[in-house]
Amino acid sequence: MATAQLPGEAKPKTPPSAPPRIERGFYTRAAIIAVGVLLVIFLLPQVLSLYYVDAMTQVAIYAVVALGLGVLVGRVGLISLGQAAVLAIGAWVAARLLFGTSLPYEVVLLASGVITMLLGTLVGLPALRMRGLYLALITLMLAGAITVVLASLNFPNGGHGFSGYNGALLHIPPIRRPGIAQTDPAYFRYSVVVAVIMFLIVLIHVRTKPGRAWAAIRQSEPAALAAGINTTFYKLWAFALASFVTGVAGGVLAGAVRYLYSIDFQTQDSITLLAVVLMGGAYSIWGAIVAGLLLQLLPAILNDLGVNPDWLVILFGIGVLQVLTTAPTGIVDQMPKDIARLARFIGGLGRRSSPAKEPAQ
Amino acid sequence: MHPLIHLALSLPSWQDEQPFLVTGLALGGVYALSGVGMIVLFRTTGVLNLSFGAVGAFGALIAWQLINHSGMNQWLAYLVCVLFGGVITLAYGMVFGPALARRDPLVKTTATLGLTLILLGAMDLLWTSNGGASRSISLPTDNHGFMVGQIQVTTTDVIALAVGIVITVVTTAFLRYSKLGTAMRAMANDREITATLGVPVRRVEAAAWFGCGIVAGLSGILLADLVALDATTLTFLVISSLAAALIARLSSIWITFVAAIIIGVVDAAVTPITALTNYRDMTPFVLAAIALLFLNRKRTLSLARQEF
Amino acid sequence: MIEVSGLTVRFGGVTSLDGMSVTFESGTCGLIGPNGAGKTTFFNVLSGFVRPASGGVKAFGEDLLAMANFRRARWGVRRTFQTEQAIENLTVYENVAMIHEHSKLSSSTRQDDVLGAIAIVGLDDVANTKVATLGAGQRRLAEVARAIVGKPKLVLLDEPAAGLPETETAHLGEVIRGIPEHTGAMTILVDHDMSLVSSCCQNTAVLDFGRMIASGPTSEVLRNEQVVQAYLGVAEAKG
Repeated sequence: MATAQLPGEAKPKTPPSAPPRIERGFYTRAAIIAVGVLLVIFLLPQVLSLYYVDAMTQVAIYAVVALGLGVLVGRVGLISLGQAAVLAIGAWVAARLLFGTSLPYEVVLLASGVITMLLGTLVGLPALRMRGLYLALITLMLAGAITVVLASLNFPNGGHGFSGYNGALLHIPPIRRPGIAQTDPAYFRYSVVVAVIMFLIVLIHVRTKPGRAWAAIRQSEPAALAAGINTTFYKLWAFALASFVTGVAGGVLAGAVRYLYSIDFQTQDSITLLAVVLMGGAYSIWGAIVAGLLLQLLPAILNDLGVNPDWLVILFGIGVLQVLTTAPTGIVDQMPKDIARLARFIGGLGRRSSPAKEPAQ
Repeated sequence: MHPLIHLALSLPSWQDEQPFLVTGLALGGVYALSGVGMIVLFRTTGVLNLSFGAVGAFGALIAWQLINHSGMNQWLAYLVCVLFGGVITLAYGMVFGPALARRDPLVKTTATLGLTLILLGAMDLLWTSNGGASRSISLPTDNHGFMVGQIQVTTTDVIALAVGIVITVVTTAFLRYSKLGTAMRAMANDREITATLGVPVRRVEAAAWFGCGIVAGLSGILLADLVALDATTLTFLVISSLAAALIARLSSIWITFVAAIIIGVVDAAVTPITALTNYRDMTPFVLAAIALLFLNRKRTLSLARQEF
Repeated sequence: MIEVSGLTVRFGGVTSLDGMSVTFESGTCGLIGPNGAGKTTFFNVLSGFVRPASGGVKAFGEDLLAMANFRRARWGVRRTFQTEQAIENLTVYENVAMIHEHSKLSSSTRQDDVLGAIAIVGLDDVANTKVATLGAGQRRLAEVARAIVGKPKLVLLDEPAAGLPETETAHLGEVIRGIPEHTGAMTILVDHDMSLVSSCCQNTAVLDFGRMIASGPTSEVLRNEQVVQAYLGVAEAKG
């Protein structure tokens, strides 16, 4: 890389250098995370019972949904009260394609992601002209509308026609799974791999131009505009990204549960989703994983112990109030303290073990 | 046959529509009641109380419990429901109002979702919806009524519509002419300045929260009677009132009333149309979405955080 | 050259700008006036956040008001805000680079342009530090760096010296005086610090109650009876 040329008088101090492309300790942290992911993929199904393997599959799915919502809430500062409906659309598209075609599972996942993304963008386009509160309410309204349509349309169950639903079917076929992931543990691994890919896609966004633009928009929209950022375009991009990953998650959900019912996608679910995203920390990538665990692992544990999972809904309600009253400015400015400490600890492990020299360019 | 013609032919006759219109007007009246309650609170405190429906549902369930399991006199039970609405909303407002006072309306509104979840969870715990007979509340006024031509109109229907009209008229007058109402209007503009003028801001807010809660309790009872006594249904029926309030841009009481009546009537009128009946619950969503998109077509940028 | 003609802005019942007409010729121009005179509103019109009820602005021959707000930055309008808008979680370098990457400039010159701007304001040592950790004066300089990177046409500085101690204001003055030479941009400086304004601006315009009450060479304007009257009630003008 060429050294910077200093215009004007030469000053007797160290010339400013461009920031290193890859920061210190990055490779170490990445390696630790990769090992962690491999452990999860290979070790977890061996040590957990099938019941918990299923729960962890759901965790992977909902962590991706939380990731999408986290992009909107934590990065851009937009609140969507309808992500459960977006998930339902993704699941619907996937189910329809899985029943109606013999496309490979990966193609179906991609298709549900893209179609959901297109729908999300279409909705986002007019909605983004509104201020935060109105936008949140519009998403609530639209999600409600979708819930009603779904209740009527039903999820595809192997029937024909556009809706793929045949109310008279006596024996409903299960939604098929990919050839390499027929069993539950195998499907768990498959879901984790898909989830990791989704996380990587979001991570790339966050670390490059769109991520910086979102940070500017979240801090102050007028200032972002004054910096030349086309805020409508970037907000739409965030919507598109959130819809895409949620649509893919819906596809994974279809194969996981194998039978889809509209009762599983209620308006309340969009609200609990927002609650866990806020509690996990909307700004951080790790927060999405915490959100997934809260939403899907905790109820499974409680059910196992014979405790009514409704207590969790109450907990999430309290969580929302706690997060919002203690965040200093804006909706999420800092992760809840214990989560932050945990993340710093893990990050610190990476930094402490990196050699103290300039990284190669 | 062209689908539109088919649709037209299966349109119900005026005769068939009439009973639904009565229900529609009644529901519209309650939506107006709720809508007005929400708007007054919003204008005074900047909080759009999304827990409104949940509060009403909880109160209605308490009333049901008292009537059916404690043998309480039903009017007393309804009173408890209404008071419960007022108290719990007031408690929320007094604890979380000041804590969030300086924040964006979006944050304040999202916080009420916290209360909504707490109530939903508690309702599911206390009154499980799995199995067993469904619960219902039946006001004694359901049994009285009169005939308008061929249609049966119950006293409850009349009360529901009347309540909507009364609250609209009374609130408009209250805001314009009473001291408390003027204080509320002043606070809608700027809480800080109003405080420096010597207005007892916290007391005015308390009045707004309590009033909103009372209205929530009352709506809960009426909707439980007119629709169903089900936690989820009642909690999210608030969306219809919200739609009306949004169409009124969260400020005009009279537009809220008109919008609420229209929503109630259209929703009900669609019921006997077989092709659309499954989608009738979309009415508030569709109407509100159209209204919002139309009203916000000229995009303005907010520089000040207080501005909404 | 910026030609403002008959600019009127109304918010509800308040008229912030009342038929403001002035021409900013070139170089560094001052815009002063008592609080509430409409200076920030004027900047907001130039930035595109506020639509005027009537009037127009022609910047270097082009109709500025016809451009969409985010496009004006690309065209070359840059500004600083009274509350700093640098992104806390990003470094100085990243903040300045963000402006560059959303402009019409090519990415091949980005590193040079950004480092150049950082050097002009004198933040070389902290180029790779997060803005959140910087002091007030340094944050202001980061703001200015964002405003001057690349090839801006018009730089709007909104009270950059507010709340800064003498030494930092002096350094800020040096930086502002260097803008024409380093970037060729025209600058409009709004501030209450009269010594800063007189040392940086050849010409100054004075706004009061949304109207221009004086404009011309800075030293004359500052001695103008009407201007002094307008400021009556403000504690001693600095300088």
